[in-house]
Amino acid sequence: MIPSTQALPAQDRIISVRDLKYIYEGGVEALKGLNLDIRSGEFVAIVGGNGSGKTTFAKTLNGLLRPTSGLVTIGGRPAASMTVAELAKTVGYAFQNPDHQLFSSSVENEVRFGPRNLGYPEAEVAKKVEAAIDAMDLGPIRGHPPLSLRLSDRRRTSIASVIAMDPKVLILDEPTTGLDLAETEALMESVCKLNREGRTVVLITHDMRLVAEYAHRVVVMAAGRVLLDTDASGAFSDLALLGQSNLEPPQVTLLAHRLSDRGVPKDIISPEELALRLFMLRGDRR
Amino acid sequence: MTGFVDLYTEADSFLHRMDPRVKIAAVVLLSLLALIVGNLVNLLALLAFVLLLLVLGRATLSKTAFALKFVLRIMVMIVVLWPIFDPSGTPVLAELGPVKVTEPAIWKGVATAVRVCCLATVWYILMFTTSQRDLVRALVKLGLRFDFGLALAISLRFIPTFGATVESITDAQRARGLELDRGAPLKRSRNYVAVLVPTIVSALRTADMLSLTLQSRAYGARPDRTYLRELRMRWSDALALAAVVALFALPAAAKYLFGMAL
Repeated sequence: MIPSTQALPAQDRIISVRDLKYIYEGGVEALKGLNLDIRSGEFVAIVGGNGSGKTTFAKTLNGLLRPTSGLVTIGGRPAASMTVAELAKTVGYAFQNPDHQLFSSSVENEVRFGPRNLGYPEAEVAKKVEAAIDAMDLGPIRGHPPLSLRLSDRRRTSIASVIAMDPKVLILDEPTTGLDLAETEALMESVCKLNREGRTVVLITHDMRLVAEYAHRVVVMAAGRVLLDTDASGAFSDLALLGQSNLEPPQVTLLAHRLSDRGVPKDIISPEELALRLFMLRGDRR
Repeated sequence: MTGFVDLYTEADSFLHRMDPRVKIAAVVLLSLLALIVGNLVNLLALLAFVLLLLVLGRATLSKTAFALKFVLRIMVMIVVLWPIFDPSGTPVLAELGPVKVTEPAIWKGVATAVRVCCLATVWYILMFTTSQRDLVRALVKLGLRFDFGLALAISLRFIPTFGATVESITDAQRARGLELDRGAPLKRSRNYVAVLVPTIVSALRTADMLSLTLQSRAYGARPDRTYLRELRMRWSDALALAAVVALFALPAAAKYLFGMAL
């Protein structure tokens, strides 16, 4: 289990959210009092069914939505006191649909747009653009027009264009929708590398296999609240709770649940782990 | 949201049940009537009639207020500005340099404001008692080519979707540090390129997909179309049409044949 974040010293929390409520125009209450801390360097998955408030929550972190009530603190400063552009320096948000942001004539220009907007000097911009293109493996296609690339490359470009602003936190909203297995793994490998280099990653997703494989910590949301906040294997041991959020653990975990009366633990999240457990059980019997 | 609301409100009133073709004819005739009539008292009578229709059509107060808020602002502007720019007539009530405020000009301003209110309300009644589908169906029955009618129906249907896309695109670019309303005018208009290009691309993609969907459902397979729902004039519709025609024809004849001032 991860240690409770409530006890953390303030400077370790890159994101801190208290009693966050958000009501849309028209009366839909999307967030109903959310409390959450995210530490610097974490890889957090935020999961939940459609309409659970994941995206609304993410948008309050970079100021696109201003909370109806409650407090959002980013890097020690209240988000309410910062503009979206200022917040973009700390919290980068890659939207779900890359086509909602691509407009430049080349991948390189696309990536340059963000840091330019933030007013960095040209030399600095060039450095950040190189780093972002490198991080997302876009070197070979840097001169291509982004709109004519295939989906996985359009998504890489959109993520690179956010990384180029050098944010401490990277929010990825459903980054693997529509990608095949190889593309998904390649993309997540790049994201993990960014995380290892110290960037905080917040992954919004429905894909529990992705969560099991990559996230250190899982926040399960349902109906505008945090239902569960734990490590990945902990999140999958309570099926009823996950069901409340229209989620199901990966199949290997479900299999482990079925085998639990034979002595297999319920918190298994990878096939390797299950195989190991089964071997151990066979050994016991001999 | 950008504040777009479909004005159509489902309800059960005689206006909702009326044949949309009759409603379109009525709205056109009542609009013409509002333009023919110039006298304030007559205009007020017409407005009273139109407001009565509004009540009979079971308009909700909140939606009416939302729809006509804008018109109210225009009305206030007309009432204020008309006397300032129209120096004709006597008696002169006030004079300040070149500006001369006369009594007839004040009344003319008020009358024009009432006229604008009549026009807006009449069209609003059509919009909130007639679904977009019925409206298009009526236009097609009145002779509009079916393709154009379908195109119109589709564009109306996509206005809210399009609004949501624009909003999402704006959000995505703001998250990349774009500040739309900052900088010199030239810089500001350049800012909009970042929103405009993805918007156009997204609209083109939607249009492309839409045409494929239409084709895959055999749109245009047979030139003579049949309709699932036929519009049918009932006696009450014919009666309503006759009433509106009379309501328009009598004052029109009085004014243009007999030269009466209205």
